[in-house]
Amino acid sequence: MGDTATQQWHAVMAADDLWEGEMEAVDVEGTSVLLVNHDGDVFAYKNRCPHQEWPLNDGDLDEKELTCANHLWVFDVTTGKGLNPANCALIGYQCRVDDDGTILVNLG
Amino acid sequence: MSRFVLVGGGVATAATATGLREEGFDGGIVLVAAEPHLPYERPPLSKEYLAGTVDRPSFRANPEAWYADHDVELVLGTRVDELVPAEHRVRLSDGRSLGYDALVLGTGVRARTLDGFSGERVHALRTLADSERLRGRLTAGRHLVILGGGFIGCEVAAVAAGRGVRVTVFEPEPLPLGRVLGAEFGRAVVDIHAEQGVEFRTGQVVTAMTETSSGLALTTRDGGVVECDELLVGVGSVPNAELAAAAGLEVDRGILTDEFGRTSAPDVHAIGDVAVRHHPEHGGPVRVEHHDTAVKHGRHTARVLLGHAEPFTEQHFFWSSQYDHMIQSLGRIDGEGETVIRGSVEDRSFTRFSLVDGRIAGMVALDRPRDLLATRKVMAVPHRVTADQLADDDFPLKSLLPKAGARRSEARR
Ligand SMILES: Cc1cc2nc3c(=O)[nH]c(=O)nc-3n(C[C@H](O)[C@H](O)[C@H](O)COP(=O)(O)OP(=O)(O)OC[C@H]3O[C@@H](n4cnc5c(N)ncnc54)[C@H](O)[C@@H]3O)c2cc1C
Ligand code: FES
Repeated sequence: MGDTATQQWHAVMAADDLWEGEMEAVDVEGTSVLLVNHDGDVFAYKNRCPHQEWPLNDGDLDEKELTCANHLWVFDVTTGKGLNPANCALIGYQCRVDDDGTILVNLG
Repeated sequence: MSRFVLVGGGVATAATATGLREEGFDGGIVLVAAEPHLPYERPPLSKEYLAGTVDRPSFRANPEAWYADHDVELVLGTRVDELVPAEHRVRLSDGRSLGYDALVLGTGVRARTLDGFSGERVHALRTLADSERLRGRLTAGRHLVILGGGFIGCEVAAVAAGRGVRVTVFEPEPLPLGRVLGAEFGRAVVDIHAEQGVEFRTGQVVTAMTETSSGLALTTRDGGVVECDELLVGVGSVPNAELAAAAGLEVDRGILTDEFGRTSAPDVHAIGDVAVRHHPEHGGPVRVEHHDTAVKHGRHTARVLLGHAEPFTEQHFFWSSQYDHMIQSLGRIDGEGETVIRGSVEDRSFTRFSLVDGRIAGMVALDRPRDLLATRKVMAVPHRVTADQLADDDFPLKSLLPKAGARRSEARR
């Protein structure tokens, strides 16, 4: 067996193609993953609202606040935590940008 | 130490409890609710829960453990029977008397009933128990008649049709939802349902019901008879304001409050569906039955109770889902101003705006979540827009936002 830790990281897109304040959905082995660039930091979440599974990339990103297009639940993209209502959270994935500027995601 | 008593087991009072603890209130909180359940959300009762695709814990306002963890005392299956504002005291149906420093009434509404329409096969839909009972009867091949083509009637029709139930909806108006959402919506809703085999009898009224050996026989105003297995009465609601009225609070089709949610009695607040609240942007009293507004009222009242009083000015938002279609509405759609349609009515992807003095006052959209998200921001800021711009699908709504362009050009890194 090879190094499973590195095998789990998937190159998904070039960081340059994800602008600050923007988000994009990518497919990682059949899972839709939401990538968000907030102030130059990249975050990765399952692209499904924890409320009723609506695709989050349909929503609206304003600074830290991601609003789901379905029933307007609001999340903080830097922590994944629900802001309204507060008792919920996005499902987060590990995410990093490597030296050549590629965004890598680990579904864990 | 102060004690706040919350009356009602819906999302409004649950949001007040949550808000109070989040804002650091460490006094006593007692939540008294007539239903035997933890406070829960009602929208799934006519949708996912009725269809059987979600379970009960998934739509509780807070998980069960939250109340104990946050020292919120739940008194479930118990009604508040009397309110004595002068003594700051309520009497419960279990005989207990509770003193309060502040009282929050979130007693909601109940389904309106029709004289002569009751019995084992007749349903209303407001509570978990109602939804479970109705679900048990939605068996393929049976015939369900729905009186009233409002949101609940339409949503139940969709779920029932999906389960193979034959559905007939009687709507006295020419179009379902037409009076609230406009004719374009009414027609789209009728068409969508017709494609799924649901029959709308618009402009028709059922005047009487009799039980037969195998079901119900309904008589229509024009003398026809329709037989069915089950009947849902979805003809609107009645605010649960009797408790407040008996205590001498000002009540007019709901409990009257100012823009802070304060009733006419000291330290008594009213929130959610039961509250008729002065809304500064409407310039008068408004009562709505929307999930989101109930939650926002609840949260806002928590802040008011803790002394951070600012008026409630949130835009009203609601949705309705039927089959895989989504209706979403924001702001005022009460017929005020000029009506503008954006998108394609034919393709069933359109938004109907109300334009007042060059400003968007409200909107309702069919399968246009992006219009909703953009409009939400636009309505929050001063803006000017023409009917032609709104009607033009190529005109980006976000361009009405201040400096949208500037922010975009700085974004590239
Ligand atoms: C079937 C259905 C579907 C809906 N779908 C949608 C939707 O898709 N979108 C949307 O925006 N809105 C929807 N709504 C409306 C939304 O659910 C309401 O706006 C919301 O429930 C209001 O919350 P509330 O806390 O004010 O009142 P409620 O949820 O009605 O709660 C009031 C509670 O107070 C209790 N109570 C009453 N009197 C007393 C008393 N004297 N003592 C103790 N307890 C008392 C009642 O038993 C009840 O538990 C729907 C409603 C229903 C019924
Ligand atoms: S599915 Fe996202 S808010 Fe309901």
